[in-house]
Amino acid sequence: MTTTTAPPVGPTPTDPRQAVDPLPGAGSTWSVSWHGVRTVATLELRQRVRSTRWIVSLVVFGLLVGGVSVLTWAFARQVDDAAWTVGPTMFGFIAFFVLFLGLLVSPTLSATAINGDRAAGTLATLQVTLLSALEIVLGKLLAAWLASLAFLAVSLPFILWAFATGNTSPLAVLTTVLLLAVMLAVVCAMGLGFSALTARTAGSAVLSYVAVASLSVLSLIIFGLSVPLVSGIETVQVYEEDWEAWEREGNEYPLDGEPMIPCTWVEREQYVSHTERTWWLLAINPFVIVADAAPDAVRPRDDYYGSFDPLALIRQGVRTARLGPPETFNYCWRELEMTGQGFGAGTSDDGRPLSPVWPWGLSVNLLLGAAGVLFATHRLRIPQRTLPRGTRVA
Amino acid sequence: MPTAADGAVGPAPLAPAPEHPGIVVSGVRRHFGAVRAVDGVDLVARRGAVTALIGPNGSGKTTLLLVLAGLLVPDAGTVRIAGHDPVTAGLTTRALTGWMPDAFGTWDSLTAREVLTTVGAAYRLPAARAAARAAELLDLVHLTDLADRPAHVLSRGQKQRLGLARALVHDPQVLLLDEPASGLDPRSRVDLRVLVRDLAAQGKTILVSSHVLVELDEMADDAVFVSAGRTVAAESLAAASAARRPWRLRALSQSGLAGWLTAAGVPWRPEGGTANGFAPPPDLLDSPGSLVVDLDGEAGAADLLRAAVGAGVPVTSLAPASGALEATYLALEEERR
Ligand SMILES: Nc1ncnc2c1ncn2[C@@H]1O[C@H](COP(=O)(O)OP(=O)(O)O)[C@@H](O)[C@H]1O
Ligand SMILES: [Mg+2]
Repeated sequence: MTTTTAPPVGPTPTDPRQAVDPLPGAGSTWSVSWHGVRTVATLELRQRVRSTRWIVSLVVFGLLVGGVSVLTWAFARQVDDAAWTVGPTMFGFIAFFVLFLGLLVSPTLSATAINGDRAAGTLATLQVTLLSALEIVLGKLLAAWLASLAFLAVSLPFILWAFATGNTSPLAVLTTVLLLAVMLAVVCAMGLGFSALTARTAGSAVLSYVAVASLSVLSLIIFGLSVPLVSGIETVQVYEEDWEAWEREGNEYPLDGEPMIPCTWVEREQYVSHTERTWWLLAINPFVIVADAAPDAVRPRDDYYGSFDPLALIRQGVRTARLGPPETFNYCWRELEMTGQGFGAGTSDDGRPLSPVWPWGLSVNLLLGAAGVLFATHRLRIPQRTLPRGTRVA
Repeated sequence: MPTAADGAVGPAPLAPAPEHPGIVVSGVRRHFGAVRAVDGVDLVARRGAVTALIGPNGSGKTTLLLVLAGLLVPDAGTVRIAGHDPVTAGLTTRALTGWMPDAFGTWDSLTAREVLTTVGAAYRLPAARAAARAAELLDLVHLTDLADRPAHVLSRGQKQRLGLARALVHDPQVLLLDEPASGLDPRSRVDLRVLVRDLAAQGKTILVSSHVLVELDEMADDAVFVSAGRTVAAESLAAASAARRPWRLRALSQSGLAGWLTAAGVPWRPEGGTANGFAPPPDLLDSPGSLVVDLDGEAGAADLLRAAVGAGVPVTSLAPASGALEATYLALEEERR
């Protein structure tokens, strides 16, 4: 009908079909290649992060963390009676503040990544290429995670400042930074799942914040409110000082030194809290995970008491909550003192050994993140049989 | 998971088997809730030919193209892209198919060149190859000047051209163009037509959906008409051109022309009038003007022109009053009423 005068659009110099990955199965829903993930991540970073607003938010983030760090430093110097605790106190507060801001920032990166693209009409153009659904999801996750790691990187100098102030174990810096990074990845992955769930970006953003709030605040509130439910007056075995027997034996209070009061077993009605049934509410908390995984502060040999290290307090509290009440209560202080029980790191007040809770919490969080990724991938597989309500493919 | 079919086709089948037509659709249905968007479409698009998919708004053209592009599973019916089923051999058909969506979204922070290299990477072209291909395509759609500016500065027509280039990145054998001409200026439309004809001449299968019928007259070899999700007619452009349709005849004196046509027994009507024979002449002009007559294709036109010139009528032009497809389309609309 028309003469062909256009420049040749054919393949030159090599046939691009030869370059098309000929592996059978590559590009189908669950296959992954680094090339594909990197392609999507690069695209995401260019598309979403290439704007000056990001530089501004990074600077604001850095200023906030810096400001809070200075305040913590001043606070710790004032409050802490022992000089050695200033470093650990600063470290704990700064780590928590960075985690708090990170949890706020991360969902904004991923929670609109899929439904936003669908609304903009760019998702389907990616889906029809040879990229697999999982590559698209992982690429978006990687991009969102890298962007939140940028915020972590901005806060790193302040974390290191706290470390340099002293008495924080280098291992604590390592576990804290690693777990902060992992928790941000988890939040990004959950946000991605929500962005595949709802048609509107506002909906998925709200759901992501609800999820973050549930993990970090709501779980804590529920734990607190549920304490009366798992507590009550129970009859327990108590090993205590028997003053009556001591007096019956005609002993008198010595003028010098401690009285030698015998101890005996009695049954007592006592208020006990079975927090071993609800400790997991605390364990799934990102703040608890970070606090629990950090090793104890480095104590000077001569200084035993006097610590306002927030991470250590949380660690002790959560691990104790996990143990629940002991089978028997030992109030025989004299004997306790003699055996040296009840003191020292790694044991509860009544001398039982404490074990870390963070592996549990971390596992739950990783499972939630994986669920987000799997769900998003499931929603992106093509050809689609059912469309989410209120969406068009293109 | 590689499906059984994906595994079975293996590396070789990226080249279409020559005996397969480009696209075969039979009895395809697809509904969204209560809406039957596609409700029984049959069509064959030949290799090396341009097939027009014509239908009013909401007739299911876009939905059908989504099924062909491998984005939607049809509820019923079968689709073959160069002999492969997009549902069971999705990857193979995706490698073979280029799709240009109608609602054109673009990554607007990327430059035009980055858009094309990204898509190249997504089709697993090596970086150097993707860059060369991007430059080639930018030149082809005349966007080289704007290649390194962010896509959000592009006008609608320029974005549309970028969308076309994007569909061509992996040199697909089958091209699905959804309303490619909308938003294009006349120059770009001509370019598009030339490009599409050129691609067809290279043996690619091209399916173009549109309701801008004049466009397709020049571009298409075959036409498939859909309405309310159904195929209502399929014919070749050659047949459509030979069909009886209105022609516009212009002479130096409109009233003189009317007199001659009446005497020659040729039914005529004024511009915009209805074809009911020898209606009493409205106020015709003695000055140059035109009248509409129904003729049987080019042959009928030649006969009429010869007679008029022989009778000394000062004819200045004779041309189809509507495109061949438009005539068929309107006739189908007429039938449905
Ligand atoms: N995702 C969807 N959900 C609900 N209805 C849809 C969806 N996509 C298309 N439709 C409906 O299907 C019909 C066909 O749409 P479409 O294929 O876009 O038509 P065309 O491209 O021919 O204008 C329309 O009535 C449209 O409203
Ligand atoms: Mg359409």
